[in-house]
Amino acid sequence: MADGAASKRPLSPHLQIWRFTVTLAASITHRGTGVVLYGGLLLMALWVIGLALSPELFAVVSAIIHSPLGFILIVGFVWSLLFHLMNGLRHLYWDYGRGFAMKTATMTAWLVYIAATLATALIIWAGYGGGA
Amino acid sequence: MSKKGTSSFILQRASAVVLAPLSIWFLFEIVSALTADYAAARAWLSAPLNAALLGGFFIIGALHMRIGLAEIIVDYVHSWAKDVLLFINWLAALGLIAVAGWSIYTISFAG
Repeated sequence: MADGAASKRPLSPHLQIWRFTVTLAASITHRGTGVVLYGGLLLMALWVIGLALSPELFAVVSAIIHSPLGFILIVGFVWSLLFHLMNGLRHLYWDYGRGFAMKTATMTAWLVYIAATLATALIIWAGYGGGA
Repeated sequence: MSKKGTSSFILQRASAVVLAPLSIWFLFEIVSALTADYAAARAWLSAPLNAALLGGFFIIGALHMRIGLAEIIVDYVHSWAKDVLLFINWLAALGLIAVAGWSIYTISFAG
């Protein structure tokens, strides 16, 4: 401000004034799943180190994988990878300047949540011998 | 990240395009590979195709995740801690590439 007075103009983004939309949720979830995948890759590095170094070390990692915590981690990683992959395709589509229409963006956001969840269920079911 | 915006933007997209098919492959393999016993897991990763694809998933994933987390750090951290976190972020990515690369090489090509 030229006269030194504090600006009274509104700041953006507003921290209190916003409306929940599924596109907003998808945007936040994209970042959240990215962080989950980051941690997941680091944990999976422990799995390959154990596999490379010794059967004893691998047994420790394997015991965690086969515990309830390990199951939750695998389900979380699979859902995060599916969501991030599919929502990433939305982002690539946007990079071409397409898919921004409100109806389209809302529909594809819902689609990503639903498809990621269904595909996770299928992968976990098949992976743990549900079809065998 | 300063003055590297354009190259980061391009690398983020290029790595995403490569990671998409690698992720689809990995999603088909992940549960059976991770829940396998020692011998079966070694056998799986000894197959050259699996070694190459998992190695690619780790290495390109490390590049992609570093850029993504750097974006989040720059958005939310404005103090001196920003540079520390960005440095740790680099170390994690390089460490992941080194560790995963060495492990997979040992198992499938030198074992």
